[in-house]
Amino acid sequence: MSQIEAPDYERLPVKPDKTYGLMCVVPTRSEAVNVQTEKQVLAWPDGLIRYVLLFLVLFMVLAVISLLFNAPLEEPANALHPPNPAKAPWYFLGLQEMVSYSAFWGGVGIPTMLVLLAIAAPYLESKPGGEGVWFHSSRSAANWIFLGIMGTLGLLTLIGTLFRGRNWDFVLPW
Amino acid sequence: MQSVPHADETRGKSILHRIWYSIFRSPPLPVSELDRAQSVANNFFLHIHSAKVHERALRFKTTLGLGLMTFFTFIILVVTGILLMFYYVPTPEKAYDRMLDLRSAVFFGTFLRNMHRWSAHAMVLLALLHMMRVFLTGSHKSPREFNWVLGVFLLLLTLFMSFTGYLLPWDQLAYWAIVVGTAIAGYAPVVGDQVRFILLGDSQVGSEALLRFYVLHVAVLPTVLTLLIGWHFWRIRKDGGLARPREDLALAPAPAGTGSDNAPEDAPPEKEER
Ligand code: HEM
Repeated sequence: MSQIEAPDYERLPVKPDKTYGLMCVVPTRSEAVNVQTEKQVLAWPDGLIRYVLLFLVLFMVLAVISLLFNAPLEEPANALHPPNPAKAPWYFLGLQEMVSYSAFWGGVGIPTMLVLLAIAAPYLESKPGGEGVWFHSSRSAANWIFLGIMGTLGLLTLIGTLFRGRNWDFVLPW
Repeated sequence: MQSVPHADETRGKSILHRIWYSIFRSPPLPVSELDRAQSVANNFFLHIHSAKVHERALRFKTTLGLGLMTFFTFIILVVTGILLMFYYVPTPEKAYDRMLDLRSAVFFGTFLRNMHRWSAHAMVLLALLHMMRVFLTGSHKSPREFNWVLGVFLLLLTLFMSFTGYLLPWDQLAYWAIVVGTAIAGYAPVVGDQVRFILLGDSQVGSEALLRFYVLHVAVLPTVLTLLIGWHFWRIRKDGGLARPREDLALAPAPAGTGSDNAPEDAPPEKEER
């Protein structure tokens, strides 16, 4: 961003609760309005260039994966030949693992409570502070609860994916 | 502001110039801040984005790019999905054969299907990681509560999108995954069996289920998802951009020596790990 002289704060104090209107348009590269104080940059080009680059990187990674690995295609569907075990997609294997302990609680009760808890989370955690900061110390309790829940779900998913074989018995993947 | 040019301004200019300005209203490579801001604000696709963003929002560490990458996988899925629709037929007799055709007879068919499949897995994973990033940076807190709620629905829709797509190849993997998955819906008390029946259009996974999953997958869910993503992005603007610490919210103190401190009283200058 181009170098701009600081406004004369002595004569023109900047008030946080004041609103500003557009008084005139100066035909230069940039206007010296709150550049130092607001730390705002232009979406065009600063943001958009980063977005396009991110897209290109993501696209290339997915394209390379798609060239190297083929999507699975098994035998045609046959309602008379259930595989053992039959597994849901990976993101539901945590659920399927819980279902193996209790059909109602694992499949319906706990998932419903988790969704409701997720919706309620920002209203429950109402004390301000720590916004936009990774692992802010004032929020460590909330973060640990969250990580505990996500970690448990992740672990159940991992067990369902790798450690369950015939009849949903515990097996080692190696 | 001058977003609508006076007819005089383009009179006498070349036809290319006039066409360009009739569409974009700003120069192709804007130089002044005003033109740069207006090239965002005047663009139908970009105007959901604010013309300016806080420099923190663009730092990789802030978002790890996860929300945007989730969005980009969705775009890739829409494009590859529409192309796949030209070849796919949602009936138990034809679906599987069409998957074989895709492999053998369609130009780039394997690549197309691979892109769609792996991007779908990536979208689920990225949405989950994005949710974790938002929570662990405390970005779900007031005033962004409702955007978090929209996010929860986006995640559920993403999962349902992926689940309905999973059945479409009509191979053993697809079929039994959906048998197992929809059985879970049946465990709900009282309404469980009805929910399962509405989902499958039958008491078992068969041609009705394939048709229902197909319609949900290619029409209903993508439309709802598109609307919710638009809402999600609009809320980011209305909530004042991405979450940032209080000391970056208000105007920072004036440079030393100017004799005025503009930080609002309720925001003690926190010195936190950033
Ligand atoms: C289809 C799925 C989703 C898409 C495409 C999406 C997209 C985005 C994008 C592009 C941003 C801007 C910041 C960034 O890139 O991280 C964002 C912010 C946000 N997202 Fe999502 N999102 C999705 C799902 C979710 C989920 C599952 C949640 C939480 C449950 C969520 C909650 C939020 C919140 C609260 C913000 C504001 C964050 C801040 O102010 O720093 N979103 N989303």
